[in-house]
Amino acid sequence: MINPYQKKILLLAVHAGEIMLKNGAETSRVEDTITRICKACRIDRIETFATPTGIFISLDKGGENDDTQTFIKRIRGTTTDLNKVSKINSFSREFTTTDLTVEAGVESLKEIENEKPYPMPVRMLGAAMIAAFFSVIFGGGASDFCVALIDGVLCYTLSCFLSKYPINPFIISFCCCGVAAFIALLAATTVPGASYSSIIIGTLMIFVPGVAITNSIRDFLSGDMLSGVSRMMEAFLIAVSLASGVGFVMKIWVMLGGITL
Amino acid sequence: MMNMAIQFLLAMFATCGFCIIFRVPVKKIIWCMIIGGFGWIAYQLGLFYGNSPAVSCFFGSCVVGILSNLASRFIKEASTIFIIPSIICLVPGSNIYYTMESLIHEDTGEFASHVTTTLLMAGTIAAGLLITGSITQMIRSIARKTIRQK
Repeated sequence: MINPYQKKILLLAVHAGEIMLKNGAETSRVEDTITRICKACRIDRIETFATPTGIFISLDKGGENDDTQTFIKRIRGTTTDLNKVSKINSFSREFTTTDLTVEAGVESLKEIENEKPYPMPVRMLGAAMIAAFFSVIFGGGASDFCVALIDGVLCYTLSCFLSKYPINPFIISFCCCGVAAFIALLAATTVPGASYSSIIIGTLMIFVPGVAITNSIRDFLSGDMLSGVSRMMEAFLIAVSLASGVGFVMKIWVMLGGITL
Repeated sequence: MMNMAIQFLLAMFATCGFCIIFRVPVKKIIWCMIIGGFGWIAYQLGLFYGNSPAVSCFFGSCVVGILSNLASRFIKEASTIFIIPSIICLVPGSNIYYTMESLIHEDTGEFASHVTTTLLMAGTIAAGLLITGSITQMIRSIARKTIRQK
């Protein structure tokens, strides 16, 4: 028999785990959160298994005649929103220490899920800062700083625009880096004192797979080999697609213009 | 020394950009900036004293790991929130570019050396974070046991 109360808890826990996994938390933290929420509702036997693409949970009451319930949640599409991770972290702490009802928990989870990221102009400013400061760190001058500022904004806007459509993330980073390289090469020929390499590096840093690398290491650390390997592979593929985007445009530039880089 | 201060500031602001994109909670952005700056300075100091980029990257990621775990302990926040924005400065984005450039120039020797450096840097970032992470785990479990015994 399915106990409606148990099912509610199960859905709550899965929802919390889903939000965390979608927003850049490592799998061990997701498993830990789900287990804690279920334990707080006095479900003793609970096993969870999370990978970057899915969550599996099974629970039972422990009695001889009780059914085991299993729930599988497929996770599609990831963004990075560390504020949501932080909030769910404190939510699970609050849920376990105080006697919050399940309904109230569902409500506050919905609130957290519907939070919007920072407004677009602010995020563009962030991307511009990354591109501009990294171009200076890797040996750029004042004109590189200005070009990288514009380049970063354009490429980040393009990536946000493309990610609204069902396009493979590797293709998105390929396109963005291609555009970044094109703008940098264009600037190097027109703007005096600009060098394309530091501008390209600065813009490349926006799309570098930092989240995937960090999470894969933390997964290895907690013994989740499967998610560790898959995230490591993701990071590697993103890096390859970045490099091939830049290389593609530079090769075509050389072929068409005949200019030696 | 002046150069180092400038590098510190540049890395801080670059980390701030990542904090905005990844939407780190507003009150924690300043901590991420400081951690990112120190990580980058450790990397630069490593290079300054004649180490290879891979070894310097190890120093940088160790500093980021230690500071992030300390910050997560004292500010009561998941350590991922500090690690993700501040480790990105060390990710070898420039080496990815140099690898591609040498491939376009059809310079296979350069290409091989850049690929090796990129992979080594990624590996040493992983090693630094793994070592600091497991040491903090150990310290935590030891602390818990001693508290229980009392």
